[in-house]
Amino acid sequence: MGRRTVLRALSTLPLGAALAGCRARDRDESNVVVFRHPKLFGDPTALNVVLADFERASGVRVRREALPASSDEQHLFYAINLQARSREFDVLALDTIWTAEFAQAGWLREITHLLSVADRADFFPGALASVTWQGRIHALPWFADAGLLYWRKDLLAQHAMAPPRTWDELLAATRAVKTAQPGLHGFVWQGKQYEGLVCNALEFVWSHGGDLDAAHVREAIDGLAFMRALVTEGVSPAWVTTLTEESARVIFGRGDALFLRNWPYAWRLFEREGSMLRGRVGMSVLPHAPGEQSAGTLGGWQLGVNAFSQRSAVAEQLAAYLTAPSAQKALALAYGYSPPRRSLYADAEFAAAQPFLASLHGVLEAARPRPVSPHYVALSQTLQAQFSAVLTGVRSPQAALDRMLRTAAALERR
Amino acid sequence: MRSARREALLLLAPGGLLLVVVTALPMLLVLWLSFETRSVFRPPAFAGLDNYLRLAYDPRFWNALWNTVYFALVSVTLELVLGMAIALLVARAGRVRSLVYGAMLVPWAIPTVASARMWEWMYNAEFGVINSLLGAQINWLGDPLLALHAAIAMDVWKSTPFVALLLLAGLQSIPPDLYRAAAIDGARAWTTFRRITLPLLVPVILVAIVFRTIDALRVFDAVYVLTGGGPANGTETLSIYAYKALFQTLEFGYGSALAVAVLAITAAATIIYARLLRAGGQ
Amino acid sequence: MTPLGRFGLGLGLSAVMLWSLAPFVWQLLTSVTPPAELEAHSALFPSAPTLVHYRAILAGQPFGRLMLNSFVAASGATLLALVLGSLAGFALAKLHAPGRVATLAVVVTLSMLPPIATVSPLFLIVNALGMHDTLAALILVYAGFALPLAVWLMTQFFRGVPDELYIAARVDGCSAIGAFMRVMLPLAVPGLVATALLVFIYAWNEFLYALSLTASTASRTMPVGIALFPGIHEVPWGEIAAGSVLATIPAVLLAISFQRRVLEGLTAGAVKA
Repeated sequence: MGRRTVLRALSTLPLGAALAGCRARDRDESNVVVFRHPKLFGDPTALNVVLADFERASGVRVRREALPASSDEQHLFYAINLQARSREFDVLALDTIWTAEFAQAGWLREITHLLSVADRADFFPGALASVTWQGRIHALPWFADAGLLYWRKDLLAQHAMAPPRTWDELLAATRAVKTAQPGLHGFVWQGKQYEGLVCNALEFVWSHGGDLDAAHVREAIDGLAFMRALVTEGVSPAWVTTLTEESARVIFGRGDALFLRNWPYAWRLFEREGSMLRGRVGMSVLPHAPGEQSAGTLGGWQLGVNAFSQRSAVAEQLAAYLTAPSAQKALALAYGYSPPRRSLYADAEFAAAQPFLASLHGVLEAARPRPVSPHYVALSQTLQAQFSAVLTGVRSPQAALDRMLRTAAALERR
Repeated sequence: MRSARREALLLLAPGGLLLVVVTALPMLLVLWLSFETRSVFRPPAFAGLDNYLRLAYDPRFWNALWNTVYFALVSVTLELVLGMAIALLVARAGRVRSLVYGAMLVPWAIPTVASARMWEWMYNAEFGVINSLLGAQINWLGDPLLALHAAIAMDVWKSTPFVALLLLAGLQSIPPDLYRAAAIDGARAWTTFRRITLPLLVPVILVAIVFRTIDALRVFDAVYVLTGGGPANGTETLSIYAYKALFQTLEFGYGSALAVAVLAITAAATIIYARLLRAGGQ
Repeated sequence: MTPLGRFGLGLGLSAVMLWSLAPFVWQLLTSVTPPAELEAHSALFPSAPTLVHYRAILAGQPFGRLMLNSFVAASGATLLALVLGSLAGFALAKLHAPGRVATLAVVVTLSMLPPIATVSPLFLIVNALGMHDTLAALILVYAGFALPLAVWLMTQFFRGVPDELYIAARVDGCSAIGAFMRVMLPLAVPGLVATALLVFIYAWNEFLYALSLTASTASRTMPVGIALFPGIHEVPWGEIAAGSVLATIPAVLLAISFQRRVLEGLTAGAVKA
C-alpha cells in the first residue's frame, strides 16, 4: 500500500461511522425531518404542539432528538457527526458561539433567503450579528439570552438609593448598605475560569467603552481594572473566582448579596413559592461607566440547517417556522425563554402572560455577541485564562489584553 | 520444545492482539497524528515537526509542564514521607491490623472523580468543612497558587495509604533478627531506622516512587473535576491541556503532540527510575 | 511496650484511620443532609437525615442506569482480562516462552502509558468502527488497559505454583491447556481473585476513556455522571454527594471484604518476599 493510500485511509477514519450508519436509515424515513435540540426545561408538550402545527401544514413528520447535556459534549457531538457529513439530522440547535465555526467548516446551509427585510428589522441586532458570517446568514435566532443585573429592591429602598445605572452608583450603594450590614456581599457574579467568565468580563470591558481590538485597548484596560478592583476593594468576595451561574444565584437567593449578575432564568427562581426573596428583587441592564453604554453578553440558541441534509427544503421550512413570531411566542409563553424578536415585546398578550420577559426588551437591545469567529472555541480558552489571571491579580490588564489580542491574531492566521 | 513454543505463542496471542489494538496501535497513531495538522476547516495535512515547534514556543505548554512536574515532585515527596511514617506506625498495629488496613484502602478504592467532588465541597470557601474548622474564608480553589496545592493535598490524601501499604509490605519482609541484633547492640530507634530499615527498603521505596511519579505526571481526572484547570491556568496539567486541545478545540494534530509530550516525560521518568532501581538492586 | 507507648500508638492509629475515612464520612453526612441545611453555617451533623438526594438522583436522573452501565463495563472487562491474563501469565510462567523477560518488560511498560496519549486515536478508531457510545467499546478498552496488570499478577502467582505439579500433569497425559484448566487454575484462585478485584475497581473508577468514548445513557458510566452533574437549578451538593457515595460503595465494599487479596495484588512483585 502506497503512502498516499495509507494517508487517505487514515484521514477518512471519521467517515466510516457515517457511511456505516446512513444506508440503513435512508430506507425508512423519506418523510421525516429530524430536529436536534438541547433539553428544554418545562412541559415538553408545548413544543410538540408547535411541531404538530408544522406537520399538519407541511405534511412532513418531525422527529425530535435530544443533545447531550453539557455544552462541550454538544459541541463535540456536532463536530464528530458533521465532520463525517452525517445526514442523520436536518435542523440543529446551536449555541450562539458556534455558528461562525460551523459556517466556516461548511456544515451549515446558507439561509440568507429565509430572512426577509421585515425579519432583519425585527431581530435584535446582537442576535443577528451572531448568525451572520462573512455577510451571509447561516442560522436563525431562536432564543435570546443576555446578562443583566439583579438587585435587592428592599435594601436599596431602605437606604433610599435608586437602582444603579453607573458602576460608581453601584459602588456607592454597596458602601451605603454595607455600613448597616457588614456581612453582606456587595456584588456576586461569575468569576470562575470557564465560559461564563468571558461573558462577565466582556460586560465589564464593553461597559467601559472597550473592546477586544487594538482601537479600544485603553478602555478595555479600564474595564478589566475595574473588575479586579471589585475584589481588591471588597465589593466582591475573593472567592468570586469559584462562582458559576448557579453558585452565585444561590448566594443572592439566600439574601447574602446586594447585587447579582446573571441570566434571565434566575428571575423565576427568585419569584417562586418559598423563595425568601419573593417580591424583593429588581432587575435592569448592567451598569456602565460614565459616558458609555450598558452592555450584556448575548447567549441563547439558534437554528441551523445541516449542509448535508437530504431534506434541505423541508428543513429550511422547519427552521423558518420555529423562528417565526407565532412559534416563538408560543414557546416563550410555555418555557419562559426570551424570544429574539422586537415585535413580540410590544405584543399585549405576551406582556400580560410573561411580564418579566416583556421587560427584558432593553436588556436584549443592549446584548452583544462574543467575538464572532470560527476560532471562537480556541480563543475562548485563552480569554478565560487571561481574564482569570487579571481577576486573581496574577497579570495586569495590559499584559492580559496583549496576550488575548496576539492569540486572536494568531488564530485568524491559522 | 518447538510445540511448547507454539503452545505458548497460542496462549499469548489473544491477549497480545487486544494489547496491540488498544495500546500499541493507538500509541503509534498518536505519534502519527502529532505530525499532522488537523482542523475542522481543512483536510488533514502532513506538517512535519510544526506541532513540536509550536509546542516549544507555546507559553501555555511550559506553564502546563511546570504545573505537572511541580505537582508530581511535591505530591510524591509528601506521599513518601507520610507513607513511611504511617507504615512504621501501622507495622505495630497488632490485633487491629485488619481494621486499619481496611480503612486505609478506602481512599484508594474511591473513584478519583468522586474524591475530587468530595474535596471540592470540602474546599468550598463558604461552607466547606475545612474553612468551617479553621474559622476563615480561605479561597482554596479560587487562588491560582492555593488551588494547585489544594489539588496536591487531595492527591496526597488519596495516594498516601497506597504508598504506606507498599512500604508496609516491605517492612514486613525485613527479618526480625536484624532488629534484635541491633537492640542487643544498644542501637537507638533512629539509628536502627537509618542503618537497617531504610537501606533494606530502598527497592520498595523506588518501586513506590516509580508508580506514584508516573501516576502523578499523567494526572487528569482529579484536577479536571476539581478546578477544570483554573484559575488562570494555575492547575492546568499537561493532560488537561491536551484534553482541551483534542476535545474542545478539536485540534487532533496539536493535541496529539501534547499527548506525546506527556508520554515523553513519563517515559523519561520511568527510564531514570529503572536505572536507579537496577543500581539499587545491586 | 510502655502504657504511654500504647497510648501513643493508639492515638497514631486513630489518626491514620481518621485521615483515611473522614472525607468519605463527610460526604456520607452531606448526602443525607436536608437541602435547606446544606448551605447554612450549621453543625457538622444533619439534624434530620433524609434520603431525598438519593431519591432525586435515582428517579429524576438516570443514575441507576449509569450504575448498571458501570457494572456491565467493569464486569465484562474483568472477565476478559482474567481469561486473557491468566492464559498469558501461564504461558509466561510455565511454558518457557521465548523472550519471556522482554515480553514482561514490554507489558509492564505499556501499563505506564498515560491515558491521554491514547485517547485521541482510540476515539477516532472507535468512531470509525461505529462503536461510539457503546458498552462493548468500553469493555474492550478497559480490558486492554488492565491486561498488563492482569498478566503481571497472574505471572507472579503462577510462578508461585511449583513446576512439579505442572510437569506431573503433563506426564499423566494432559495437554498444556488441560493441565492449565485442571491443575494450575484451581491453585491460582487467590491470584485470580486479586486480579479480578484490581481490574474491577480500576474499570469501575475509570474516567477519561468513559468521558471520551460515551455520549449518552446508552453507555455512560458513573464517574462521568458524577463529574458532569447537570445542576441546572441549585448547585446539587447533596445530590453530588449521594452520587459519589453510590459510586464509591461498591469499590470500597470489595476492597474491605477482600482486603487480603487486594493487598496481595497491590504489593505483588514489589517486594521480593
